[in-house]
Amino acid sequence: MRAENYEPKQHPPSHEYELNFGPNHPGIEGNYALKVKLHGDTVVSARADAGYLHRGFEKLMEQRLWIQNIALVPRICVPDPSPMEVAYSMAVEQLCGLDVPERAQWLRVMQLEMSRITAHLFYFGGHAATTGMYNPMFWGVADRDLVLDLFEELTGGRVYCIYNMPGGVRRDIPEGFLDRLSRLLDYLESRLPEYDNLFFTNHVLINRAKGTGQMSQHQALEWAVTGPNLRATGLQCDVRRDDPYLVYDELEFDIPVEQGGDALARTLVRRSELQQSIRILRQIIQRLPSIKGPIRAPIPNPLAWNVPAGEAYVRLESSKGELGWYVVSNGGQKPYRVHVRGPSSMHAVQVLENLAKGSRLEDVAQIMFSLDACPPEVDR
Amino acid sequence: MEKPIHMEYLLNELANIKVRNERQRRMRLDVPSKELPAVLELLKGRAGFMHLSAISCVDWIDENQFELVYHLWSNQVSTLVSAHTRIERDPGVYLSVYDLYKPAAFWERDIHEMYGVFFEGSPDMEKFILTEWDGPPPMRKEFDSEAWVNDHFDWQNYRPDWLQEIEQEGGGIAILPDEQRFSRKAEE
Amino acid sequence: MSSADTKKKDIDYNSNGSVLNPLKALSFFAKKPVTEKLEPRIAAERYRGFHVNDWEKCIGCSTCQKVCDNAAITMVKVPSQKEDPLNGIRNLRPAIDYGRCCWCALCVDLCPTGSISLSREYVHTCYDEQLDSYFLLPDPNGMHNKDYGEGWNKTEENDLVDHNRQVMPERTPESRSDNFDEIVDGYDKQQAIIEASRCVQCGMCHDACPTHMHAPEYIRAIWSDDIEDAVRQIYRTNPFAHTCGRVCTHRCETACSIGKRGEPIAIRWLKRYAVDALSHDKIKDIVLGDVNPESSGFNIAVIGSGPAGLTTAFDLAKLGHKVTVYEGLDKPGGMPRYGIPYYRLPFDKLDDDINVIKAAGVKIKCNTWVGKDITLEQLKKKNHAVLLSLGLQLGRSTRIPGSDHKHVQKAVTLLQKIAAGEKIDVPKTAAIIGGGNVAMDIARSLARLQKQKFGEVNITVTAMESFEHFLADPEEVKEAQEEGVIILPSRGPQECMIEKGALVGLRTLKVLSIFDEQGRFAPHFDENDEICHECETIVEAIGQMTDVDLLGEELTEKLEWQRGRLQVDENCRTSEDWLWAAGDMVRGPDVVHAVADGHTVSKSINEYLKTLQMEKKSS
Repeated sequence: MRAENYEPKQHPPSHEYELNFGPNHPGIEGNYALKVKLHGDTVVSARADAGYLHRGFEKLMEQRLWIQNIALVPRICVPDPSPMEVAYSMAVEQLCGLDVPERAQWLRVMQLEMSRITAHLFYFGGHAATTGMYNPMFWGVADRDLVLDLFEELTGGRVYCIYNMPGGVRRDIPEGFLDRLSRLLDYLESRLPEYDNLFFTNHVLINRAKGTGQMSQHQALEWAVTGPNLRATGLQCDVRRDDPYLVYDELEFDIPVEQGGDALARTLVRRSELQQSIRILRQIIQRLPSIKGPIRAPIPNPLAWNVPAGEAYVRLESSKGELGWYVVSNGGQKPYRVHVRGPSSMHAVQVLENLAKGSRLEDVAQIMFSLDACPPEVDR
Repeated sequence: MEKPIHMEYLLNELANIKVRNERQRRMRLDVPSKELPAVLELLKGRAGFMHLSAISCVDWIDENQFELVYHLWSNQVSTLVSAHTRIERDPGVYLSVYDLYKPAAFWERDIHEMYGVFFEGSPDMEKFILTEWDGPPPMRKEFDSEAWVNDHFDWQNYRPDWLQEIEQEGGGIAILPDEQRFSRKAEE
Repeated sequence: MSSADTKKKDIDYNSNGSVLNPLKALSFFAKKPVTEKLEPRIAAERYRGFHVNDWEKCIGCSTCQKVCDNAAITMVKVPSQKEDPLNGIRNLRPAIDYGRCCWCALCVDLCPTGSISLSREYVHTCYDEQLDSYFLLPDPNGMHNKDYGEGWNKTEENDLVDHNRQVMPERTPESRSDNFDEIVDGYDKQQAIIEASRCVQCGMCHDACPTHMHAPEYIRAIWSDDIEDAVRQIYRTNPFAHTCGRVCTHRCETACSIGKRGEPIAIRWLKRYAVDALSHDKIKDIVLGDVNPESSGFNIAVIGSGPAGLTTAFDLAKLGHKVTVYEGLDKPGGMPRYGIPYYRLPFDKLDDDINVIKAAGVKIKCNTWVGKDITLEQLKKKNHAVLLSLGLQLGRSTRIPGSDHKHVQKAVTLLQKIAAGEKIDVPKTAAIIGGGNVAMDIARSLARLQKQKFGEVNITVTAMESFEHFLADPEEVKEAQEEGVIILPSRGPQECMIEKGALVGLRTLKVLSIFDEQGRFAPHFDENDEICHECETIVEAIGQMTDVDLLGEELTEKLEWQRGRLQVDENCRTSEDWLWAAGDMVRGPDVVHAVADGHTVSKSINEYLKTLQMEKKSS
């Protein structure tokens, strides 16, 4: 519903008023609205309003050939598109019983972790901005761009890589890529103390974020919170470890947790995750040269694919939490049904509505950003 | 992977349920619609299936049925159970599992909006994404979104100079994009 | 961060932070900004920017359009570009709508020729009124006529074209060289489906085929395992389905887009698979579905029961006309029966084709030689139209000294005898003159007979052409060589050597050139390079001609001739309004051209009959 069409159902009591928070708001990743009822500047209740980014991806996917969807799927989540294409490809591979060459699996993990870094850098910037600090936002976006430069070299695209297809990946790494990646990781690591100074140990942030949007572990489990948001409540839970896919079981990494369950804890978890992603990428840089072989299983002419009837549910740990892809084939040339479970479907609706309740208006944006709630994922 | 022992016991208690264990850490249950809430309760209570990952709806229009799929994860047995059940497309009414799983509220609302399935007992069946949409539930197979788009939008009619020059030479547009689209052809 | 200190947290959740720490960032005032200027930048080496298209390589197959997921590609006819259906080249070029394109580069990955690629250029802006600039016809020059270089292009890694054909199972040279069993086994279902899946449905094959078979449609039907539909598509244009599925000269495969860089789709073998996979009765049912049960009252006579004659007869019979085919020999089929050896086309498969045609209502009178058993004049009186489809049954002679010896024979005559099951004197050694497919047929047939009789093969083929310009199909040459036939290119026959009345050999000279500067036949020989091939028999396989005695002197005078061939118009009509002529006798030897002629004739005759009917009604 557009703001001008909105009519409150009943006239609110005079000491309460309604406010449309969004759909255009700098504190939101993409267009999204939260209708908040306020008493003073305290939120009495909040109601999420999505649909501003609804592109009908699930319907569109039913109308396209299996191969054509590879160009569509990354667009479901703008800040972290790569897990989408990997998940879709994995689902089709499971349906076809296609074995993916080992090298392709390593390249996919590399892409996923690079993507996680871009998403987290973007997140830091966003979270800083919602607490009134714009410098970390510029830094986050600028540093993210350096990773995008490498994506451009590797995949030909900066944000929407379209790097995966059922069977494997489309191109091998270009010459000297691992060296450049290694140098970038060094650089990013050297930047962390600077981020710490400006942001993570900033008294202003800590004061604003501590206790904001706090949820208990019990609540988190009840609301199906996943990913860093769940880990910020002290539970060591990660799809990469619990339900390993690709080659994650061959990699060493920690699952950082915090106990606070608030915006600060969520941000600190992501900061540690960035370090873990760097650690994973360092291992890949070491291992990848010794993993020979093709980057794609032989696949038939993409204009003539009949994927065997069946279904597959693929789970992935995206930067925002548990990503689920349910793909159904009726044996035809196009998917019969694709259902995307974006982690934000939970975080941006039920969780946000609940956490916003009782908070101060100026914290709403921070709560939403600290959940890393991504509206395009909700709308699909 | 072999099923953990207590899952075996558990599943033995359930009659009328088909169990398939096709992939690692994935289990498919086919459950009659009447028994599904009981099965979920059992799974949650006895095997730690605390996490409702998603509820998916599939429109099997040829069989005049909706398939509802409840994806549940248990850290205790490290398995994702997909519980499948089918309901008649008409009237398309089913029971909410909100009492068991809070996240069901979102999925049930989503399915109601996209497929028109009503969930009795769900806290909120109001519109969410398609606030200004008055048409039929769009994810239903009978709704042809492409036809709707073609009815409501025009193709851009480009007339660049190069095209006019080629037309003067006797050439011009030979095959429009839509004529050869394979995704369109695949339906025929 | 090394693995040792991973447990230690950099930042304690409970610390209160500092208000001074952020001030450290002030040092950045002394650093250069990282923002890049907004100006055209050359993107990474495999960037997916705007399209460029090498027009020399592009064949206009429109595969890019088919795989485009956003319907962003329009095919535009560019008259200045070459069009050559026989070689699979159209003058269509893709134009991109950048309002729709999403730069996924699937068009690049699936392009059969590798002509299209994406550049390293990605910036384009314009005012509203310049919106037409979003619609681009990519050429090698790039979007703004500036060379940014190729970005994402075709490499082995991302090539999605399936280049390799399914290997056709066939007999080994050892197991085939002493018998006439069919060499090729045919695809099984699995192979056929995989082979059919390689097709990109460009339709180049349809354009190149003389009879414009619906190959894309039947290939797609085979891929979806709908054999009945495949057969239906085949019979739309070709009643010689079994025959063409085996011995067609497959122009389609020459034109196939996939063949530009890989092996073309085995279109001929797929056709063979489809008709072999369906029972004869089912095929009949499908075909008889379109037969008009009502008789038109018109009679047509067809002389000669080869592919041209029978195709005409089949088409006209389906329309309800009464067609009688006159055949001089004892079985119908013409050259496919009497000219093509059994190992390439088993007779029962030809019989299947002919039985379907008969089932459509065509009457075939065998052992009825027009000119001897019945005259053309009689046929003209009894029928409303007559078709001559006589074929090429007389072998041409080299007319070199000694070529009138009784052991110098014509390939067609010999092949006909072998096919008819007549006993022939198998020579211990033989030399064949000629380098076409007929030369291969007779060489390989004789080789089989020699192997049966003597246990060894002693056959030399001498052809004037060099191997690069050989007339016979390469696989025929290869298989003949595998079976023990010696093939000598660039040898010109000079003399059949006769000693005391007996043929002892063939003398040849090395050919330096065959044609003169004007392209006329005027061979030059190297007199110093002479070989005498010892042989008991020489077979001439240098071409055939038609026996036109049945026309009689008066009609022969009236008709128009060109270099010994009967002249017909584009509808295969002669200068006599009741007489048509088609097939090898007017077109040269080729089954599928004969079938194409058959359709042309049947259309033309049907039009003619309609005018007759109008005249009848008005009078």
